[in-house]
Amino acid sequence: MLPAARYLDPQLLAALHGLPLRARLIVEGYVSGVHRSPFHGFSIEFAEHREYTPGDDLRYLDWKVFGRTDKFYLKQFEEETNLVCYLLLDVSESMTYRNPAARLSKLEYAQSAAAALAYLILHQQDSAGLVAFDDEIRKLVRPSGNPSHLNELFHAMEHSPGGRKTAMGPIFHDLAERFKKRGIVIVLSDLFDDVDGLTAGLKHFRHRRHEVILMHVLDPAELDFPFQRTTLFRGLERHPEALVEPRALRKAYLAEFNAYLRRLKTACRRHRMDYVLLRTDQSLEVVLSTYLASRTRQFAPP
Amino acid sequence: MPAAAKPKDITPVMFLPPPLAFGFAHLPMLGWLAAAAVPVVIHLLSRRRYREVSWAAMEYLLAAVRRHKRRMLFEQWLLLAVRTAIIILIVLAAAEPYRRRTALIFAPGENTQRVLVFDGSYSMAYRPAEQSRFDRAKELARQIVENSPQGDAFTLLLMSSPPRAIVAAPTVERAEMLREIESLALPQSVADLPAALTLLEKHLSQARRENPRLARQQVFFLTDLQRITWEPQLAGAALTAFRRRSAAVAERAALVVLDVGQPAAPNLAVAALRAFDLPALQDRQIHFETLLRNFGGQAKSNQPVELLVDGRKVEQKLIDVPPGPETAVDFTYRFIAPGDHAVEIHAPGDALEVDNRRWRIVPVRAALRVLCIDGRPSGGGIQGTADYVSLALAPQPSGVPAPVKVEAAPESALLERELSHYDCVFLCNVAQFTDHEARLLDAYLQAGGNLVILPGDQLKPDRYNRVLGAPQAGKASVEGRWSMVENPRRPTTNDQRPTNPERIRLLPARIDKLVPRDRYRLDPRGYRHPLLSAFRDHGEKALLTTPLFEYFKLDVPKDSSARVALAAAGGDPLIVEETIHRGRVVLLAIPIDEPGTPLPRWPSFLPLIQEILAFCVAGEAEQHNLRVGQPLVVRLPEATVGLDAELQTPDGRLIALTPETSSSAAAWRFTETWQSGIYELRFSDPARGRRLYAVNVNPAEGNLAAVSPDRLRNDVWPGVACTIQTTWQDLDRPGATPSWAAPTGLQVELLYGVLCLLFFETLLAWRFGHHPT
Repeated sequence: MLPAARYLDPQLLAALHGLPLRARLIVEGYVSGVHRSPFHGFSIEFAEHREYTPGDDLRYLDWKVFGRTDKFYLKQFEEETNLVCYLLLDVSESMTYRNPAARLSKLEYAQSAAAALAYLILHQQDSAGLVAFDDEIRKLVRPSGNPSHLNELFHAMEHSPGGRKTAMGPIFHDLAERFKKRGIVIVLSDLFDDVDGLTAGLKHFRHRRHEVILMHVLDPAELDFPFQRTTLFRGLERHPEALVEPRALRKAYLAEFNAYLRRLKTACRRHRMDYVLLRTDQSLEVVLSTYLASRTRQFAPP
Repeated sequence: MPAAAKPKDITPVMFLPPPLAFGFAHLPMLGWLAAAAVPVVIHLLSRRRYREVSWAAMEYLLAAVRRHKRRMLFEQWLLLAVRTAIIILIVLAAAEPYRRRTALIFAPGENTQRVLVFDGSYSMAYRPAEQSRFDRAKELARQIVENSPQGDAFTLLLMSSPPRAIVAAPTVERAEMLREIESLALPQSVADLPAALTLLEKHLSQARRENPRLARQQVFFLTDLQRITWEPQLAGAALTAFRRRSAAVAERAALVVLDVGQPAAPNLAVAALRAFDLPALQDRQIHFETLLRNFGGQAKSNQPVELLVDGRKVEQKLIDVPPGPETAVDFTYRFIAPGDHAVEIHAPGDALEVDNRRWRIVPVRAALRVLCIDGRPSGGGIQGTADYVSLALAPQPSGVPAPVKVEAAPESALLERELSHYDCVFLCNVAQFTDHEARLLDAYLQAGGNLVILPGDQLKPDRYNRVLGAPQAGKASVEGRWSMVENPRRPTTNDQRPTNPERIRLLPARIDKLVPRDRYRLDPRGYRHPLLSAFRDHGEKALLTTPLFEYFKLDVPKDSSARVALAAAGGDPLIVEETIHRGRVVLLAIPIDEPGTPLPRWPSFLPLIQEILAFCVAGEAEQHNLRVGQPLVVRLPEATVGLDAELQTPDGRLIALTPETSSSAAAWRFTETWQSGIYELRFSDPARGRRLYAVNVNPAEGNLAAVSPDRLRNDVWPGVACTIQTTWQDLDRPGATPSWAAPTGLQVELLYGVLCLLFFETLLAWRFGHHPT
């Protein structure tokens, strides 16, 4: 199968077609498009004044008009910029896990999701870049809006070396410094790393005014722990092995794992990052469509 | 016979003291308790057999292991314990536990009581090959016990004489029952079928009453169907009672006769061993006659017959023994040393060894000692009864050693002399006796002494009858013959008339007044009585010529054990003898020293008196010769303190006997004379020497002819349902033999426990997460 055909499931693309991927925050771009400019109050093109109504954002109040007229007016700017989307793909060893019942490993699933998003972004004339990493950056493709850029992204996804231990915190700090233009940072990973270090790295993106979307790719076995017989678990990423009676340990494992997920979700909520859980047994089409639809509703004009 | 022959209640394997004790009907099932290790083994195997997976979220898995390691271990062990307990309870329930409170056995629900009745007659010792009939009976009994369904109970009876219950209470413990069967010994007695049926009926009804779960009862007679056992010589009411009892037993239980006999079983038995010329005196030749009986169909030629004295073979003869009548073989032997000697006849060479031997004890004396109590001492010359008797007993001139030493003494000697030193006491024309004298004479008889009462002109019949105790119609038997003497001192009446102390009876006949003086004739009654046997060979008229003019009329009750040796022509007894206590009493009716009585001067007087003495003393020898099962009792006249006795049985066992003592006598008793042979009693005082006793089997049992099945059904047990077979098969449950009996109460409780544990295990597994997701 050709890379394009492998990752661009026609069904998936048909479902995504026409769905506007809108950033929650308006980012500046050099290509005028359908996106709102993030610099409404500070952009060159003033659109109009509108009378203040309770609930409006006070940041856009025109204090000069208030000084003159003693009335509240809001300044409105109308500027659309090009979107830059950074796809951060985890290619560490833990991403290679696939339980026998699943059709895709976590990495394959993440690659599919990344490809779909890249196609969509480029299709609406925006720019997309890719970073493949484990404990260091394995591949970096700078953002571009050229349609031919898609093939380069696909190639990079497929041929990124990896298979080592994850270390996301330092890498995210490094990338935050590298990404000069504000945009959307989409992380596709199982996030099996130190939550505090990971959160610190993501906060750095937020500090640089990027919108962050965490696409948490997990195998259903990791979420449900369905093992019955005595099992020797051999740890990926150089973890020790353990011989356990799964039925006796299931509750305890799930408690530990759910605690980890709660910490992750809490951190995302605190730093206004989107958290999307991708189970590899779920239809990617459904998950992405649902998420993008929710974003559309969230950013629709009043 | 070992002490194990006593009826007893088998003790099961007890795990707790009563009343919480319990046992198991099927003990080998407990071997399955090893299966309790299965859950542990499975657990260990499961830890060795595991799948391997690569795992990404290892950090969280390891954290969970670290945090819950102790809890998981506890859960694992708890589950293992519950699963192990389930297996243990199932095995315990399968082993059919039962509770036992003191002597009660709670057998499983409706099952069969199987009563094993072993034929205890010595014909069961017949050994045609390697295996005797008794061994075959044991083999069949083992098959019955081993192949009976679980929960069946067993009872073991021995049909001997008297019959005995070896295992009286029904027991479900097979192992113990098999041990009892294995240790069962043949008593060498005869089998008393009527008495066995009585005992059987009693045990069947008792078992049904005490163990209602034993719904069925089955009786197995393990027997050789010997005719003498199965065709008891009964008539009249006894026969009616026997048949009624047989029908009653058959109504309660299914009767199965397991025949272990052989159709043709020849046998040669030593039927008798007699000794003549008694009492045996030192250096005097004794004549022995033994009778051989050939119960087979063919004559036995050159049959060796051995005479053994004190275990040493002294003579052997080869004789031909034709079938049918008894064949007599004579031996003579001269005893050199005084004391008890064991004489044995052995005719070896057939398949039933028990009756090939016969023993006899011969007490040999250096001389006999006789005390003549003279009621009217003459003061010189030969005038009174005692004088005549003394002369008749020791007619030798003075200075010549006599075999009989006679001491004549006045009446006061009864109180002054130690009577136990005399073999016989002649009471010659004693007018009357005091209570104390009567008690002394009674104790003397109990110790084995002998009395000869010779009347005279002084004799006062009413005093005799009152003090010495005359028999009364219907009360002829001697009360407490084998019991200790009780002589309570009764207060004398105001007129100081002597009274008969309680329980004393020394007279074999009641003495009445003298018959009118006339000429009477004697009737020796064919000389059948041993006392007169010496006259038999001297012609029909040996005694008939003796003149008789008067005599005391003696009254012998009809049911008395007293025997008349000599009578008047009209039938009035003249010489009556009876064994009273352990001695013999001879009462003469003829007044010897009456002026008109010519008897003392008649030639027959001397042999008559000597035969009377010989007859009396010979009775002592008979006390040394017993039948199998007859109690062995030794009495000494004086109260003996600290004198112990030890009895050696034919099989070499030493049994300490404890004396029963009273103020005037001591007795040693041994009742388990179930084995034929010589029993030797030794006192702790060596001066008393040793005493030998011969115990012999009943020779009639040597006839091995069997009753046929048809005869058994038609004549012995007419109308009584019974099955006769030679091998055992379970007729109780034809077609279907359930492997498992109905559960007992304790079984049900254990099974409930299993159910509870199963539920608990499921709950735990669910609670601990041991369930499929």
